[in-house]
Amino acid sequence: MQYQLESDLSEQADYFEVPGAHLYTVLHAVADPVARVLLVGPFASERQNSYGPWVRWARYLADRQIEVLRYDYRGIGESTGVFEEMTFTDWHEDLRLLSNWLNDRSPNLPILLHGLEVGALLAAKVFESGNGDALLMWSPTPTANVALRSTLLRWVGLEQLLRYSEERKTAGDYIRKLEGGSPVEVEGYQWSPKLWRESFDFELPPGMDDEKLATLKYERPVKISILSADAAPLAKKGIVGGGDEIKDLSWLYSDNYDWINGALAIPAGRT
Amino acid sequence: MPVAIGSRELFTLDGQGVLLEGTYHRPRNLMNCAPVRGKSGRVGVLFVNTLFLPRTGTGDAAVYWAESFADRGYHAFRMDLPGLGDSDAPLNTALLDFINAGGYGAIASAKVKELAARFDLDGVVIVGQCAGGITALHAAAASETCKGVVLLDPYFFLPQQLKKSKAWKRLVRWAASSAVGGALSKTYDRMKDIQLSLRGKRPPGNANFALLRRWSEVAAKGLPVILFKAPGRKSPGTKPRVGEFDYIQHLLNLSDRKNQVEIQLIESTDHSFANRAGRSAIRDHVQHWLEVHFPLPRSIESIAVTSEVVVTVNEMDYGNHAECL
Repeated sequence: MQYQLESDLSEQADYFEVPGAHLYTVLHAVADPVARVLLVGPFASERQNSYGPWVRWARYLADRQIEVLRYDYRGIGESTGVFEEMTFTDWHEDLRLLSNWLNDRSPNLPILLHGLEVGALLAAKVFESGNGDALLMWSPTPTANVALRSTLLRWVGLEQLLRYSEERKTAGDYIRKLEGGSPVEVEGYQWSPKLWRESFDFELPPGMDDEKLATLKYERPVKISILSADAAPLAKKGIVGGGDEIKDLSWLYSDNYDWINGALAIPAGRT
Repeated sequence: MPVAIGSRELFTLDGQGVLLEGTYHRPRNLMNCAPVRGKSGRVGVLFVNTLFLPRTGTGDAAVYWAESFADRGYHAFRMDLPGLGDSDAPLNTALLDFINAGGYGAIASAKVKELAARFDLDGVVIVGQCAGGITALHAAAASETCKGVVLLDPYFFLPQQLKKSKAWKRLVRWAASSAVGGALSKTYDRMKDIQLSLRGKRPPGNANFALLRRWSEVAAKGLPVILFKAPGRKSPGTKPRVGEFDYIQHLLNLSDRKNQVEIQLIESTDHSFANRAGRSAIRDHVQHWLEVHFPLPRSIESIAVTSEVVVTVNEMDYGNHAECL
């Protein structure tokens, strides 16, 4: 296998300081960018499963003269911080700070906020407050709790296959534990009862569940894509490890890139 | 100017025109000062990717372990291999086959050498989980810089790449969750066991023979190796499920009595070792193993945080510890 890079793009990993922690960021810098995209990835254990196609999406955009910033949530991945102490409010605030930083880099360029699942919720909230010139949401959930539940269900399904019947717990067992005030460990992440409680109220901003209404209401382009199973592992699909992790998703990238081009009114011939 | 915060530093290895991204966890004694480049028996601990996962590992367990070892005074590194995590490479849709064939072995070995030169290390211990263990063994066999290997639940067979039908998946789930299915599953296992016993001690046809050869080479070099096994359903202890070949025993048979091979079973965890029980057990066992095989200079040791030490079982004692078998 040859390891020659597909392009000579500059990817600058760095740490971005937020209160009490440092976020790991990677800036896909390009010469003379036509636009910028801030990628807001999925939650906790979904990060590790979708990391490859998420990075390739960033490279796809950067290859087309769009500067991309991606990052890890506080307490997750390469970022510092203690996961079990985090709340969605913290992650929302971190995104706001990053969004401002990206905007200040070159204020004259349009900026797209793009989130996946919980990341879409976070991006929508920052977009609602006036940041960003367009919003792209992949598989947003109405509340953060819906995303947590689907992650829990997938994990419990895998656990059940690996355990004897007397050792098995249902998703309901774990939810009762969380609601009873005890933490629950899901794929190595300690979910706190506080995180679980907050997830019910952390919801999509008003009108954001319909892209046409949202575009009218917020007076900026909004697109919602519910990813199909073909888009796994960006879309949750059963057990991870079935060979879906490394595959060509250029069809998905291409469709969404076309939309970005139109939404940010990138002049023809610039990309 | 390196990008660094506290004990962490980001690095890029660019030798041979291959850019690999990674994170360096500075030893605790070096956290508040510029890195000391003097030789003092410096051994680094390097984590390679688990299959397709980024260098953080499942549930960020690799971050936890790297920080723990750095706290104890060891230089710890996590590195993304080409096409994984933040390291770029053309898309490889046959990644599992590639890894199983030892595809990352040569580049990992070259990068181990580069890492040692870059951070002024005398040697590197390679840590690999699951498919990462395959890369670790191939790299260790090819490398003069590698001084030890830590394997977390590796596999020594070639998984079938047949796309399982939905009906098959439903059947497996049913067998796992119903009494009748369980009974049929046991019968199936016994039939496989009879078939297996007819083969004697020879590995089955789907064994990864190239990997078994790499194991023999690494063991013959006298490199310290510690292999952790996670408990599996129907496979208590280090014994495999009924009807499956006992690779652990086979590995011990391949290793002569002079080698430094250890086998450990970690209870209350799963294949990823990412839960609290798994990650703390791996931390304690590996720390102790490092201190036995790669002791730090006393000055560094005295600064490191003290932690409970768990005694490991070495190969010489293997037969005396029934709980490990």
